Amino acid sequence: MTEISLNNVSKSFGAVNVIDEISLDVHSGEFIVFLGPSGSGKSTLLRMIAGLESIDDGTLTIGGQRCEHLSPGQRNVAMVFQNYALYPHMSVRENMEFGLKNIHIPNDEIDRRVQKAARILEMDTLLDRRPSELSGGQRQRVAIGRAIVKEPAAFLFDEPLSNLDAALRVRTRVELAELHQRMKSTMIYVTHDQTEAMTLADRIVVLNDCKIQQIGSPMEVYLRPATRFVAGFVGSPAMNFIKGELSGSGANQVVVLGDGSKVAISIGLSSGRYELGIRPEAVTVSKQPADAVASAAVVEHLGDRTLIYAKLKDGTAITAQDGGQSRVIPGDEIHLAFDTTQIHLFDDGGNGYHAANNST
Amino acid sequence: MKSQTAKTLNLAGAAITILTVLIAVLWAFPIYWGIVSSIKFEDEVVRPYVELWPENPTVQHYWFALTETEIGSWYINSIVTALGVTVLTVSTSLFAGYAISQLRFPGRTMLYWLILASFMVPTQTLIISHFVLIANMGLLNTWAGIILPQLIHPVIIIVYKQFFDQVPKDFREAAAMDNASEFRILFKIYIPMNWGVTTALSIVTFIWAWNAFLWPFLAVTSTNMMTITVGITQVNDAFGVYYARQLASAVLAGFPVAVAYLLFQRKVTQAITLSAGIKG
Repeated sequence: MTEISLNNVSKSFGAVNVIDEISLDVHSGEFIVFLGPSGSGKSTLLRMIAGLESIDDGTLTIGGQRCEHLSPGQRNVAMVFQNYALYPHMSVRENMEFGLKNIHIPNDEIDRRVQKAARILEMDTLLDRRPSELSGGQRQRVAIGRAIVKEPAAFLFDEPLSNLDAALRVRTRVELAELHQRMKSTMIYVTHDQTEAMTLADRIVVLNDCKIQQIGSPMEVYLRPATRFVAGFVGSPAMNFIKGELSGSGANQVVVLGDGSKVAISIGLSSGRYELGIRPEAVTVSKQPADAVASAAVVEHLGDRTLIYAKLKDGTAITAQDGGQSRVIPGDEIHLAFDTTQIHLFDDGGNGYHAANNST
Repeated sequence: MKSQTAKTLNLAGAAITILTVLIAVLWAFPIYWGIVSSIKFEDEVVRPYVELWPENPTVQHYWFALTETEIGSWYINSIVTALGVTVLTVSTSLFAGYAISQLRFPGRTMLYWLILASFMVPTQTLIISHFVLIANMGLLNTWAGIILPQLIHPVIIIVYKQFFDQVPKDFREAAAMDNASEFRILFKIYIPMNWGVTTALSIVTFIWAWNAFLWPFLAVTSTNMMTITVGITQVNDAFGVYYARQLASAVLAGFPVAVAYLLFQRKVTQAITLSAGIKG
């Protein structure tokens, strides 16, 4: 069942267009992540759903009700802010009660919901403390608790982990995933961190330049990027892009790279110039001559694997992966083998095409 | 080298301290003189030379002011009008400051400029029109007549606006998500988050209102409706000016404010600092 539906929504600040005719259906119980770089419009889109930014054009439906003209409090959604926005003069309990008192929920019901949220988030002992007496992680939990007590149709998270240190971020991310599994609530989560997106999302909405670039499951977005932007933005280290010329037909197509290397591919595209995209883990070091030859420039030992930043003969940069015990050293000439099932081609418009055997 | 620098600093510090003490003495001397004169006999006060301490200290002028004048009524009038001015000024300024800072409505900028421009108009230039207006309303010799023209304090609106501007907008948005009305946002979020400024502005407004002289002097002619600042002009009689008696009344008039200042010293200093850059 569709919980939130955006239909051709647009938004501009003065002459600057920030959201351009975006349509999206969020299903009930789904964890959707808006992923994109700064300025892509992801936070604006979330704030438009929340009612904190007006919608210039298009429609928004939440739980079957048209909402674009409703105030934030009337939309039956709860938001967790990047800086938590806990009222500093109120205790944790008062912070959680505030929204319920505003809509005149009976006191015993308020008490029940606060206790329940405190139990879910394991913060029963924090209820009488002020936000200034809490750690970053505890504040984060209070902010989530404040949203939970409202029992909303959907939770909106605006980069909620960005103020936490690396270790706490990982822990809270896991807690959020657990919370979602337990509550089965609809959640929309904004982040620029692809790890958060990949680990939390049922579906990722990749945004750039005011538009949706791709909507799909994390693996779909990773393995079959719809555009060159998505291919470059998702994945770390980033995908390799190498200019090449596609020739041949059917199952016997070949991409000739700038250094003259030939890579066999089955993709069903007409011949022409394309950009070949391949992830570092699909480019491996081979002992025998393979698809290309490169010169290793930097070698990074990560324990379980080794990343090799190299250059093809024409100077094109390429990142390859080797085993954890790699003996490659900077300056070595190495043979690179491409996993041809993991090759993508991008046309001039940035549209992505995937090798025939590539699948999610 | 190091000890030379330390010595220079010490000398500079000592010079600044001496200068500060001298200025403080110079500033405090009139208060000391007033208090000392108020416990002298009249003939001692008018002697043509300086006597830093009375020959025969007396409290007879205080006794006179407390028993022979209507100082009780003047105190009540001062308390009621100063409290009235404080409560009404602070509450209206609070709303105005919040509206200008947080709400978006047509004419908001114009309104803000008008309030800023009102600094250019000295109260004295308005006093005749105030008098005519209050007289026409039949409010001369009433508490309302004393209070109403004193409610114009643009500085308090500006201070509130500045404080509300500094509250991160996340709180407002969180409150909006929490379904809070503008009144709830103001009373439950913005005011509690700015209690310090409200207290400071209330104290300083009370002191301004307590010390007000020109308007209450014009608005009140009947002795029993006078505020204490006006009342002390009445302690003379047909036989002339009694300096010691007048100073004793003045000390009594200033006493509550002095106590208030001592109790809320830090807040008053904060309020004066807040409004220092703005007050015309």
